[in-house]
Amino acid sequence: MTAVLVRNLSAGYGKSDVIENINFEVQKGEILTLIGPNGGGKSTILKAVTGSLAKSSGEVQFFGKEIEKIPRSELAKMLSVMFTERLKPDLMTCRDVAAAGRYPYTGMLGVLSENDKKIVDNAIKTVEAESYADADFNSVSDGQRQRILLARAVCQQPKILVLDEPTSYLDIRHKIVFFEILERLVRESEIAVIMSLHELDFAEKISDKILCVKDGKITLSGVPAEVFTRENIRALYGISEELYNKYFDKNV
Amino acid sequence: MNKTARYTAVFAALCAGTVLVLLASVCIGSTQIPFFEAIRSIFGGGEFSDILWKIRIPRALCALLLGGALALSGYLLQTFFHNPIAGPFVLGVSSGAKLTVALTMIVVFRYVRSVSSGVMVAAAFVGAMLSLGFVLLVSRKMKRMSMLVVCGIMIGYICSAITDFAVTFARDSDIVNLHDWSKGTFSGSSMDDIPVIAGIVAAAVLGTIFISKPISAYMLGEGYAESVGVNLKFLKTALVVLSGLLSACVTAFAGPVSFVGIAVPHIVRKLFGTSKPLVMIPACFLAGSIFCMISDIIARMALSPAELSISTVTAVFGAPVVIAIIVRRKRGEM
Repeated sequence: MTAVLVRNLSAGYGKSDVIENINFEVQKGEILTLIGPNGGGKSTILKAVTGSLAKSSGEVQFFGKEIEKIPRSELAKMLSVMFTERLKPDLMTCRDVAAAGRYPYTGMLGVLSENDKKIVDNAIKTVEAESYADADFNSVSDGQRQRILLARAVCQQPKILVLDEPTSYLDIRHKIVFFEILERLVRESEIAVIMSLHELDFAEKISDKILCVKDGKITLSGVPAEVFTRENIRALYGISEELYNKYFDKNV
Repeated sequence: MNKTARYTAVFAALCAGTVLVLLASVCIGSTQIPFFEAIRSIFGGGEFSDILWKIRIPRALCALLLGGALALSGYLLQTFFHNPIAGPFVLGVSSGAKLTVALTMIVVFRYVRSVSSGVMVAAAFVGAMLSLGFVLLVSRKMKRMSMLVVCGIMIGYICSAITDFAVTFARDSDIVNLHDWSKGTFSGSSMDDIPVIAGIVAAAVLGTIFISKPISAYMLGEGYAESVGVNLKFLKTALVVLSGLLSACVTAFAGPVSFVGIAVPHIVRKLFGTSKPLVMIPACFLAGSIFCMISDIIARMALSPAELSISTVTAVFGAPVVIAIIVRRKRGEM
């Protein structure tokens, strides 16, 4: 089933479009990864798809419905985002932050029911954060914090999950743990995932589909095996043959 | 659960504290009224009935309601700017309200002998929103909170200067009142004002509780709040209008009162160990009430029979708290 359908999407800040004519679709339980150089438009695509940036033309559909026609409260139960916004909440435990994901489901005053609490507990278990769930959010490591933000997204019980460079600050072990959890989550709950990544090695292994984004356009798309060739990667990031050989020869 | 026990204990302490300090505020003064005597006079009309009903009770209630309003106004501004040193006084909101109220008083007193409290609050609200609007304009250009506070303090000075200038041209008979009020005091309160104050403050508190859920999402970032379905425009407008209304109400009736808006929410956060809006909102109100009633008692007793302005006292207790917040926050975060 097609979870996300994007047709001829263009969007930008101010008058000129930063991204133009973007087309792709994501099925249920599938991971789509955007790769490409900094400033190429990956984040802008993600923002335009989630509706946090107004688009100038084109169409975004979630499960066959145009995003504009989905009421806010419905959308919040369908779509969860994890953007790079760095937050420093005052005096909130990791559990509090994760529980914020229940927002679309709670009543007028936002009080958690027993059922909500159970869901929060499960989400914390899913991201393997039990040991530090009651620690202050600001006191845990970057890797642990990202897992809590993932738990928050899990609490939202979304059908579509959008992540913008979720692992950029993390060390290799935390990256691995994060992707393991994410992959398990996607396969189990059949969530459709759209994310941007800088880590090409992980992108290749975890994704079902790859979009190469450069200068606001999709230059190439396909399954990882097709996309990850030395010519494609060199062209996408503008790396000379010599440098490519020096750093990547045996890896990609 | 451990947390629930802590919340209950602190809330119980705050409620008990509010009642005790309110009673103390009624009994203590240039005429000391024994506790049981006071109770009897309130209900039966004993020898202190006049002092109680005409001076002490309105003054204590005024400090209670307006102190709570001020703390809540500070809490809302801190939430809005995502910064713990925002407050109605440092952002120039109180001074803006003071300016418009002073101008209104001076103009209106030329033609009639008294101004209705509704007009005063309206004037204060206009002033508060003007200052806040200016700060918001600046905040679009400058993201750094410290610069915003500097800007707010400058607005405060400009407004105070114009107020002083205007007061110089007021008639002698008006100056006495204006002078006391423009420094901040609860001494002028009368029982007639209480229903108006209570009405406005109750409405604003209810409004704040009404938006406590979106506030909790907003605390985790604007992008996040939007993604879970919060109407950001509405929420931000509500935050500004409610905090403006609360501090306007305070300024209209008691003049500018400093530091309560910053210090009290900070202390409350530490007492509860949480920043959950549903806990913070009522707790800030109660703690603000206690803080202002105690400050008011000190203001009238410290150099009795002379009165200190309320800000003199609140600054002594409040300013160190602000310094503590700034020192504790690591560099580069302001």
